[in-house]
Amino acid sequence: MKFDLTILAPHVPFLLKGALLTAEACALALVGSLIIGLLVAALRTSSSPILSRAAFIYVDLFRNIPFIVQLFFFFYGLPEIGIYIDAFTTGVIALSIAGGAFSSDVIRSGILAIDTGILEAAEVSGLSKPVIFRKIVMPIALRTSVRPLGSVFINLVLTSSILSTITLNELTGSAKIVASDTFRPFEVYAVLLIVYASLTYLISLAIGSLHRRLNRDRMPDVA
Amino acid sequence: MLTLLGKVCDMISARGVHKSFGSATVLDGIDLDVSVGEVVSILGSSGSGKSTLIRCMNGLERLDGGRITIDDFDVSNPKQLAEARKRSATVFQLFNLYPHMTAVENITLAPIQVLKIPRAQAEAEARALLDSVGLGARSDAYPAQLSGGQRQRVGICRALAMKPRYLLLDEITSALDPEMTAEVLNILAQLARTGTTMVFVTHEVEFARTISSRIVFLDKGRLVVDLPTNDFFASGGGMANPRIAQFLAKMRKD
Repeated sequence: MKFDLTILAPHVPFLLKGALLTAEACALALVGSLIIGLLVAALRTSSSPILSRAAFIYVDLFRNIPFIVQLFFFFYGLPEIGIYIDAFTTGVIALSIAGGAFSSDVIRSGILAIDTGILEAAEVSGLSKPVIFRKIVMPIALRTSVRPLGSVFINLVLTSSILSTITLNELTGSAKIVASDTFRPFEVYAVLLIVYASLTYLISLAIGSLHRRLNRDRMPDVA
Repeated sequence: MLTLLGKVCDMISARGVHKSFGSATVLDGIDLDVSVGEVVSILGSSGSGKSTLIRCMNGLERLDGGRITIDDFDVSNPKQLAEARKRSATVFQLFNLYPHMTAVENITLAPIQVLKIPRAQAEAEARALLDSVGLGARSDAYPAQLSGGQRQRVGICRALAMKPRYLLLDEITSALDPEMTAEVLNILAQLARTGTTMVFVTHEVEFARTISSRIVFLDKGRLVVDLPTNDFFASGGGMANPRIAQFLAKMRKD
């Protein structure tokens, strides 16, 4: 058998469309899971037992269910009780909820690692709790959790391939179609390997630069 | 300032303060007044309750008994605590600077957020404060880029930026080597000369002697003496108490 990429040429626009859909869904889910992660981490570390318990249940629930089952429940289960959401929105919401559970755990450990003295200094200076969270807790927690958060986001991109199972022709979905059209799965999936690896590598690069930016005080002093 | 009842309210007032951690009693009925303009040093060996007393004054520890008021605002009352905290500012042993913010940002955060001072004005004031402690050139450095003594000077500026009536200093040189300690104590001497009211928990006995108007000695959670500085060090005054004489002898030997 000959390895021949040229046979994929007519399918490039179709594959690109799929890649774009993957990128869109992942970008939205990344933002969604970061917002959910921050919110849930804040609730879990709050002094209210009810809020922290609710956040704990959320994390425990969504971390312990296979993503494909969550997805099927949203996409095939919910219509049974009259809730219809299109495949793309379902995918983004499901990814955000699952990613949010993992992100919140990472952010929470970043919050717990903050020196209590720093929080006491903020408290006695009269800053309100929301201001302390926004200006002190969140940025310090993100400094330490940005790298493990990167792993969560990379996992999110990889997991997004499962969206192909709910009729969404994102990258993996389109590749499946091209593979069955051309009968050349080897070439198709070889390309897919490279595209996913490149996508996640981009995230690694972005996380690395964000980490340096958030920890710029530990860089050599240029002043 | 006098109230109608004739009660002086320009002061920090502690009455019968009790605090325990589990079964250990840390403060056992402390009465202490600090009026505006005074510099009161609190001495005592480790575990005598000095730091806990400061932490009760700024509301970081809840009292188990008694009462602390700052200008008549009760720190145990959640509604009055915010007012009480606006009147005092704390400098900590381990600096507790915000690591992700520059010196100026550390200093301006609370003035901007709590006192609602416009950013430009807050920054100008912060730079002037840093100048006054010899750190003008390091205004935009992060805490990790500063030495311990420099960090603590930023810590003092951060407290002063709130224009507190009372400055609470919790063993602020204990984490510093002698040279850095001197840097920081010079600033305090300067503040004492300008009439800043200070409650100074310290192990620096000799320095306390030079800046304090009064010395308070705590032992095992009890206030042993509260005397004007000269009386405290006089042989017939504080030194007459064997526990204090022993403490001072040990401190001087170190």
